[in-house]
Amino acid sequence: MNEKERQDALESIELIKELVLQTKKHMGHYGGGWISIIWGVFCFIGVGGQRLFIPQGALIGVWWTALAVIAGFASYLVSRRFHKAQPVRAEHYYMRYFLQFWFPLMLLGYTLALFIVNIPSISNHYIPIVILLVISTGYLIIGFMFFRGILYMGAIGFAGTIVSAIFFLYHSDIILGALFGIGLIITGIVINNQWKSI
Amino acid sequence: MEEHIAVKLDKAFHQKARLGIMSILMASGEAEFNYLKERLNLTDGNLSSHLSLLEKKKYVRLKKKFVKKKPKTLCQITEKGHNAFKEYLNHLEQIIRTMSEE
Repeated sequence: MNEKERQDALESIELIKELVLQTKKHMGHYGGGWISIIWGVFCFIGVGGQRLFIPQGALIGVWWTALAVIAGFASYLVSRRFHKAQPVRAEHYYMRYFLQFWFPLMLLGYTLALFIVNIPSISNHYIPIVILLVISTGYLIIGFMFFRGILYMGAIGFAGTIVSAIFFLYHSDIILGALFGIGLIITGIVINNQWKSI
Repeated sequence: MEEHIAVKLDKAFHQKARLGIMSILMASGEAEFNYLKERLNLTDGNLSSHLSLLEKKKYVRLKKKFVKKKPKTLCQITEKGHNAFKEYLNHLEQIIRTMSEE
């Protein structure tokens, strides 16, 4: 056996290793880390803008809705980009995921917020509390079903929201904005690093 | 007389493009034609001929379907292909080991 055969064998094994690793990296990676970071930034901009520029009242709803549409569109673009790198492309993956899971939850959040606005005996300060409890429930469901990393985010979000409602109701928007913002950005970084380490 | 290890290597994999196709399919189980084409930097014709050879040997299975009226080809690794590629890897490792010992 000569040195060339050994060299060929080594090169082949290197190529196989590289292709297997790259393929595994592509598989199931729908940009969840970056989407989490987008929504973390959304929390900071949302609360910051609400506190600094938006007068209290109906405009707050418009502000958050507009921001949610922008963040949703950015998430769609990220998901589409990663989706294209899959060995087998599932059709309309992002839209299906969004419509089947997050859309009903968001609808529930908005409906509950609408109830609070129209019931004078309940303070409007409970609006972020209710919406974030709904979102935390979403994270808990995803965490239990698919991805353990998100489970912590859901648990911390749920507990943080309840603690904030009991002790810091009037500043809950800042506290929860920071909690969810930091939590989502950290979750995003953790997810991205997990994919990098494959 | 004992057969030379290099002779045992399956010729179907002894080509970079086919080695690439099988490596990707070993990792993912299945992949779309376009994915393989982009990852391995091959032309349609080139990839088709490599896949045909692997299909003839029953190492891969090709499935054609239509999505939004566009044809899509899905390539799947077969059990026979999986085992043959594993064996090929073992032979490669054997070559490296033997040479290191000599």
